[in-house]
Amino acid sequence: MTQFLAKEGVKNLHREGEKLITTHCCYCGMQCGMHIRLNEKTGKVVGVEPRYDWPVTLGKMCPKGVTAYQTVDHEERITTPLIKKNGQFVKASWDEALDLIEKNFKELQSKHGKDALSVYGGVSMTNEKCYLVGKYARVGLGTRFVDYNGRFCMSSAAGGFMKTLGTDRGSTLPWTELEHTDCFFISGWNAAECLPTSIQWLWKARDKGAKMIVADPRETQIARLADVHLDLKSGTDSALANGMLHIIIRDGYVDEEYVNERCNNYDELKELVKTFTPEYTSQLTGVSVEKIEKAATIYGKSPRSVVMFCRGIEQQRKGVDNVCTYTSMALLRGQIGKFASGVSTVTGQGNGQGGREHGQKADALPGYRKIADPEHVKYVAGVWGIQPEEMPKAGVSAFEMFDEIQNGNIRAMHVMCSNPAVSAPNTEYVWDSFRKLDFMVVSDFFMSETAEFADVILPATTWAEDEGTTTNLEGRVIRIRKVKDPIGESKTDWEIMKAIAERMGKGSFFPYENVPQIWEEFRLASKGGKADYYGITYDRIDKEDGVFWPCPSEDHPGTPTMFKEKFDTPNGKANLATVAWQEPAEVPSANYPHTLTTGRVVFHYLSGTQTRRVKFLMEQCPLPYAELHPELASQYNLVNGDKIKLTTPRSSMVLDVRLTKAIRNDHVFVPYHWGKELSVNQLTNPALDPTSRMPEIKVCAVKIEKA
Amino acid sequence: MNKIMYLEFERCIGCRSCQAACRECGGHDAKERNYVEYVDFFESRQTYPMLCMQCKDPACARVCPANAIQITEDGVVLSAMEEKCIGCRNCTFGCPFGIPKFDFEENKMYKCDMCYDRTQHDIAPMCASVCPSDAIRFIDFDEMQALRRRRTQMNLIEGKKPTEQDKWQYVPEFFGVYSD
Ligand code: SF4
Ligand code: SF4
Ligand code: SF4
Repeated sequence: MTQFLAKEGVKNLHREGEKLITTHCCYCGMQCGMHIRLNEKTGKVVGVEPRYDWPVTLGKMCPKGVTAYQTVDHEERITTPLIKKNGQFVKASWDEALDLIEKNFKELQSKHGKDALSVYGGVSMTNEKCYLVGKYARVGLGTRFVDYNGRFCMSSAAGGFMKTLGTDRGSTLPWTELEHTDCFFISGWNAAECLPTSIQWLWKARDKGAKMIVADPRETQIARLADVHLDLKSGTDSALANGMLHIIIRDGYVDEEYVNERCNNYDELKELVKTFTPEYTSQLTGVSVEKIEKAATIYGKSPRSVVMFCRGIEQQRKGVDNVCTYTSMALLRGQIGKFASGVSTVTGQGNGQGGREHGQKADALPGYRKIADPEHVKYVAGVWGIQPEEMPKAGVSAFEMFDEIQNGNIRAMHVMCSNPAVSAPNTEYVWDSFRKLDFMVVSDFFMSETAEFADVILPATTWAEDEGTTTNLEGRVIRIRKVKDPIGESKTDWEIMKAIAERMGKGSFFPYENVPQIWEEFRLASKGGKADYYGITYDRIDKEDGVFWPCPSEDHPGTPTMFKEKFDTPNGKANLATVAWQEPAEVPSANYPHTLTTGRVVFHYLSGTQTRRVKFLMEQCPLPYAELHPELASQYNLVNGDKIKLTTPRSSMVLDVRLTKAIRNDHVFVPYHWGKELSVNQLTNPALDPTSRMPEIKVCAVKIEKA
Repeated sequence: MNKIMYLEFERCIGCRSCQAACRECGGHDAKERNYVEYVDFFESRQTYPMLCMQCKDPACARVCPANAIQITEDGVVLSAMEEKCIGCRNCTFGCPFGIPKFDFEENKMYKCDMCYDRTQHDIAPMCASVCPSDAIRFIDFDEMQALRRRRTQMNLIEGKKPTEQDKWQYVPEFFGVYSD
C-alpha cells in the first residue's frame, strides 16, 4: 500500500531511517507528484522529496506543494471531537459527539421533514469520499439538499462543456502534449500563481516558437511574456470571444470541413457574431482594435492551438456563456479531438474534476448521471440497494442553500472539506445563515472560519492519512497513498459519514471496512455513465501513470484525447455558442465608479485554512492587499502602503495599497484567501449564472476612499 | 559532479518555490539561502532568482580570517564550518553577489551549498528540482550548450522576448532570412 515507486534509473535522495511514500500534492488540480518523507522511528512526516518520474510535473512543485507536508503533524490540528457549550468548544468523545448529532438530526427530521438536513461537500478530497458524500446525504440522511464548493469553482466550465461538447472533461487533451502546440489562447487564468507547475509546459512550447495570447485585466507573469496581452475589462469575456469569432470567420480561418461535419449552429453563430466587429468588441472590452486583430490573426493562422481558461471567465453570472464562446473558438478552428490541440479549463481544486462527476452536485448522480432521468436513478438506486422511489429529488446549488436556511427550510447542515465562510460571495449573508441554523456539524482538521460557527466539530484527517484516488485537471485518475495513521482521534471523512449513517439507522448501506471497498462500489456506480471509471483499477494507475476516463472496461486503454470521432451530444455534433452580449450584473456607476476583481496569490490555496497555517507561506504573504494602477491611485492621492477603504453595495473593508502598472487603470484587485474582516468576499456579488449557479465573484462595482 | 547549474532569469515567475525548497535541504535548518526579487514591481511582475555562483576563486572564502569556508573537490563553496566561524561577517560584505546570510541568533554565516548532499550524487539541488518554470536547472553540459544555441536560433527566427515577436524588426535590411 505504501511502497516507494520511483521508476528504475530515477535517482532520489533517500536518507537513512526514512521512508519515501509516493503520492501527489493535496492542493490544486495539477496534482504534482511528490514523495513524502516519513521518519521510520518517530512515524512523523519530516519533509518532501521531488518525484522526478511523474510525467505531468517532473518533480516540480510550487511553494504550497513543497510545504504541504507541514500541515500533517501541525500543532493546530483538531485531534478530538469538539462540542460547543456556552459559546466555547470543549473536547468530547466520539460517542458524545455522535449522540448529539443523532439526537439533533433525528429531532429536526421528525419535526420538519427529511429535507431539514443538508450536506455541503467539497472536492479537495478523493473520488472515494466525494462519491460517498452524495450517497451519505441521499441514503444516509435521506435529504435532497446536498451540494458542494465546486459551485464556486468548476460548475460554469462543467455547464459550458456539457452544452457545447456533451461531456465535461476539463481538458480534451493530455497536458503532456501541450509542448507541441503552436498557439495558446489563454483567458482568465493566472497560470504562474494558480497552477505554477503548468508553466513548464507553456514555456516548453514557447521555446519551440509557440505563440501565446493572454486575456486578463492584469498583466500577470504570463501576460507579460505573451505575444499579445488582451487587457480586457473584467466581465467582458463573451464579447471578446465573439469578437475573435467574428475575425476568424471574416478572414477565412474557419476549418469549414470540420465545422460542417462536426458542429451544429454554424449559421446562427455567423449571424450572431456579425455585429461583433473589432470596433464594437473594443468598445465593450476596452481592448484596442489592433490587439484584437493581431490576436485573432495569430490564433487563426496557427495550425495547432489550445484554448485555455480558468475562474476568471467562469466566476461570472454568464460563466457558462463565456465557456461556450471560448470553446467555439476551438471548434471553428477544428481543433478539438486532435493532437496537441483542443480546449481546457484549468481545474482549481485537487480533485475538482473527479469530485464534480459523482453525485455531490444537487442534481447529479455518479458517472455524470442526472436525478431528473428515471433510468439513471434506477441504475444508481440498484447499486446502492435502495428503491428508485426512495431517491430524493434534486436539491439546490451551494449558494441557494443559504437562501433555504434563511427561509427556514434547511435547519441543519453538515459541512465537509469546505470553508464557505470565506469562499462564498457576500459572506455576511452566509455568516448570518450559519447563525440561523438549529444545528451545524463541521468536519475539518483545522479550525476554519466555518468550523467556528459549528455546534459540533468532527476531527477529519489530512490527505496524507488516507488513501484513494483523485482525477487531475487532465482527467487522469491517479493515486493518493496513505503516509501514516491519523493523528489523535481524527477519522477519515468516509469513516465519519459511515458513523453518522449508522446512527441514522442506515449502517447497512455503508458496510465499508477500507477504501478499496468504496472504490469497487464507486467503479460500478460510474459504470455506463459519461464519466465511466469502471475499467480503472489501482494496479492500472500504478502501472500506467494514471488512467484517463472514460474507461469502460479493464481492457480499455482509457481516453487521453476526447472527442476524436464524435461529440457526446445527442446528434454527435458540437453545439456552437450563440451568445448575445450581456453586461456584468453590476457595472461602474456614479456611486461605485470602478471595478473590483478578486483572485489568488501563489502562496495560498482557496480559503487559506491550510496555507495560512504554514510558516513559509505566511512570511511571504501574510495579509490581503489592494492592487491598483498608480494612475487610479493618484486620483485619490494614494501612495504605496496607504490604507484604502473599498465599498460595494454589500459591505466595505480596509486594505493596504500596492501600486503597479501591471493592472488596468480602472480595476482594483484583491486576493481572497482570508477570513472575517480580511475577506474580500464580504464585498463580492452573489449574482448567479442561470445554468451553473456560479456566483459573479470576479466582477463588481466598487467605491474607493482613502482610509 | 557531472552536471551544470543553469539559470535563465527571465523565465522566473516569482513563485519562490526555490526558497521554500531550499529550506528543505539537509542541514539547512529551515533557512533558505537563495533570493528572489522583483526587478521593479511598479513596472511589472518580473522577478529573478539569485543563488551562490560557486565562484572559482570565491571572495567569501578569501576574506574569511578564520578559514571557515571550505571548498569541496568539485568546487562547491560550502557554508562556514560551525566550529571555525567567528561571526565577523566579512564574507557577507565580500561576496559580489551578496549571497552569504548571517544568523544573528547563532552568530554564524550560512549560504547556498548547492545542496551538496544531493549534488555530490548528481541529484538535482532542491531549488532546481522544484522550479516550475525551469528558471533554475541542473543539467548536462551538452544540454546547456544546446539550450544556448537554441536561444540564439530562436532570437533570429522569432525576435526577442518580451516584445511582440515580429522577427523583421530585428533583421536589418542587408540581411536575408529564409522562412515561410
Ligand atoms: S499546489 Fe498545485 S502546482 Fe502547487 S505543488 Fe500542489 S499541485 Fe503542484
Ligand atoms: S522557483 Fe523558479 S520561478 Fe519560482 S521564484 Fe524560484 S526561480 Fe523563480
Ligand atoms: S542549490 Fe540548494 S542550497 Fe543552493 S539555493 Fe538551491 S536549494 Fe538552496
